[in-house]
Amino acid sequence: MEVTLKRTAALVARNPLQQHAAAALAAAQHQRRRPFSFSSLTRPPPNYPGHVPLSPVERAALVVGAGLGSLFNPYRGDLIAIFSEVTATPYFIYRLRDAMLASPTGRRILRDRPRITSTSLNLPRLRSLPEGTVGRTYVAWLDREGVSPDTRAPVRHVDDEECAYVLQRYRECHDFYHALTGLPVVREGEVALKAFEFANTLLPMTGLSVFAAATLKPSERRRFREIYLPWALRNGLRAKEVINVYWEEQLERNVEDLRRELGVEPPPDLRDIRKREREERRKKKEAEAAAAAAAAAAASTASAAEAAAAAGSV
Amino acid sequence: MDALVRSRGAYVCRSCTRSLRRQWLRGHSYSTAATTPDIYDVVCVGGGPAGLSLLTALRANPVTSHLRVALVEAQDLAKVRSWTLPPDRFSNRCSSLTPASVRFLESIGAWNHLARDRVQPYHEMQVWDGVTGARIEFDWGLGSAPPARHAVEGTTIAYMNENLNLTSGLLKRLDELGGVAVFDGAKVEAITYGPETEELDLRQWPLVHLSSGNQLCARLLVGADGANSPVRSFAGISAPGWDYDRHGVVATLEMEGDGWRGDQIKIAYQRFLPTGPVAMLPMPGRFSTLVWSTTPANAAVLKSLSRKDFVAMVNAAFRLSPVDLAYMHTQEAGQADEYSWRIQHTPHDPRAVPQEVVAVQEGTVASFPLRLRHADTYIAERVALVGDAAHTVHPLAGQGLNQGQGDVQSLAKTIEYAVTHGQDIGVTMSLEPYLSERYAANHVLLGVCDKLHKLYSASSGPLVPLRSVGLSAVNALTPLKSFLMNRAAGNPLKLF
Repeated sequence: MEVTLKRTAALVARNPLQQHAAAALAAAQHQRRRPFSFSSLTRPPPNYPGHVPLSPVERAALVVGAGLGSLFNPYRGDLIAIFSEVTATPYFIYRLRDAMLASPTGRRILRDRPRITSTSLNLPRLRSLPEGTVGRTYVAWLDREGVSPDTRAPVRHVDDEECAYVLQRYRECHDFYHALTGLPVVREGEVALKAFEFANTLLPMTGLSVFAAATLKPSERRRFREIYLPWALRNGLRAKEVINVYWEEQLERNVEDLRRELGVEPPPDLRDIRKREREERRKKKEAEAAAAAAAAAAASTASAAEAAAAAGSV
Repeated sequence: MDALVRSRGAYVCRSCTRSLRRQWLRGHSYSTAATTPDIYDVVCVGGGPAGLSLLTALRANPVTSHLRVALVEAQDLAKVRSWTLPPDRFSNRCSSLTPASVRFLESIGAWNHLARDRVQPYHEMQVWDGVTGARIEFDWGLGSAPPARHAVEGTTIAYMNENLNLTSGLLKRLDELGGVAVFDGAKVEAITYGPETEELDLRQWPLVHLSSGNQLCARLLVGADGANSPVRSFAGISAPGWDYDRHGVVATLEMEGDGWRGDQIKIAYQRFLPTGPVAMLPMPGRFSTLVWSTTPANAAVLKSLSRKDFVAMVNAAFRLSPVDLAYMHTQEAGQADEYSWRIQHTPHDPRAVPQEVVAVQEGTVASFPLRLRHADTYIAERVALVGDAAHTVHPLAGQGLNQGQGDVQSLAKTIEYAVTHGQDIGVTMSLEPYLSERYAANHVLLGVCDKLHKLYSASSGPLVPLRSVGLSAVNALTPLKSFLMNRAAGNPLKLF
């Protein structure tokens, strides 16, 4: 080996053109590009804190596993998060990042890298804002649904560091999209919001989440098909990119102004519809119960009368 | 008049000679008030590289050196003769000279008159797609280079040279050869047909009227007068084509070093952006010349930028994504700051792109519109077109000036053939070989450059991955690559 290397070096030294080729090869080996496939023992180093690169097999396994898991148990937020990360590449997260780079506000967001956490937003101050502002609507929605701007899980499986921030930003802004559209946190509302997000951001996870509509009740499915899916597609496609909204600067703005600027019309209030439906169902059940009770009472009276007659006759 | 009849090899037709002799014997009884035009064998309108090359070729060749030739140029050639620049300053109009053009210039004796320390041979070309990064690398690896005198010359792809260096060198050689009637500083006012006088019938000979009052009558009128050629309009030849709606922005740049492979082996770079290709071509030392084909709006923005921002835009053009570049073109200022932010988040290999540009030479940022034109024919009765008068091409392959030199070489050969075979050099029959040799070859090159431009204008859609796969495939097929490099270098076609 040593002898061969020395001879090669001597040959290379003679020819200036080959010298360059050898130097280029050495340089390339030092900055070796990320291998396409690797095992868990040879995982390449992370690009940012918390980064876990995935091999193609691991990625495929997570697509299937996290996808099915979150479909059957939508309370598994961690599986939904992983599913969004492993389906974001190729193309889709880069498209979203380029959409941010094409807008001046989006570029400012990428430069400043703001984070939305329960500590970064001053909730009491938001509650004191006037009615109809974005901040007040957001806090009112948080209180109504009984949720908090919990710190969303950090992005771990997106290789490009800037794209990881874009996905993180999308995740943290999700609650603001709820406030913007007024959709509640129930499964029906989440599915409608995911359809809107898919039409607007084109992230695969949002599109595939629409299949969760299969797990809804029949009446909910009908409502989704007739009202909320058309609303989501229409508004998602014609609205401006919601990823480019600098929410921290929009908190004191009137929410109707923001909706108009973005081109988003609020859908029919889902909570009201559900409440009315529940009321109707309850009334119908009560009426049925009353009728059943009356029928039962009548039947029992009739049977009692029969029994008395039978007893009397005996 | 007698001189014309008696000079060796003059081709004045029999009837003219007879009437001349008759008049001479009669003893000049006619008044000479009517100015008889100055008759030349070849009048070349246009003192650019093509025109000067043609006259040099005719004068340098002993077969054609007796022809009476004239040069007409609107600008003052004294400035071109005395052109000189310090070694750290370069003109912004540069062209790439293929080895075939250089061989031709050597054969006419002009190559040694160029300031050779201002000519930069380059040995490698890196061309890549700005959207996908697919790359093709041209260099004459060992064993596939065409034969040459010595190893380094054999690996040269082409030579970068300032246009003024070329014209100044050609003019020096022309002065050395002498025998050319130069009419510089004279605009062509009109071109008509000559008069019919008692002595001569010049009704089929073109007559050039100059602003200085001279009238030159030509056996063969050569139009080397650029894209809006008056000679071409006189001949009634139309030049159909289209405008690309693009401007070529040029500048002279100073880099941080001599190049990634040092001073001995220089590399030319070209990146295809959706708005057009941006090319950085090496000049001697730390300098390079930029040719950036982009939309007129973008060109206007580039020309208005401060030097720092312009430098940042050029660096960005070779490294950042098309989305970033499109955004930076909308900014009025601050591109330097934007570039330093974006470059941190754009993964790139520093050695695959040119070295960083550190400065742009003052006053060299300029632009010119790009278009495609091809004359319907290059010849007419007593008229020939060479250079930009015959064809205008997209600069993305650096072939325009070389096509002109190829035209000149072919026309000079055609004139030489006509002279040795006793033909009238101006008639269409004598000029036909020039047309048949050059027209198809030029047409193919114009078409290829046009289609490349159109192919790389797409920024999304199915064409993008297709062209990237195609480019990578050509990069891997060495015989095909060698074939393309040979065609671009102007080397003769060798099948086996």
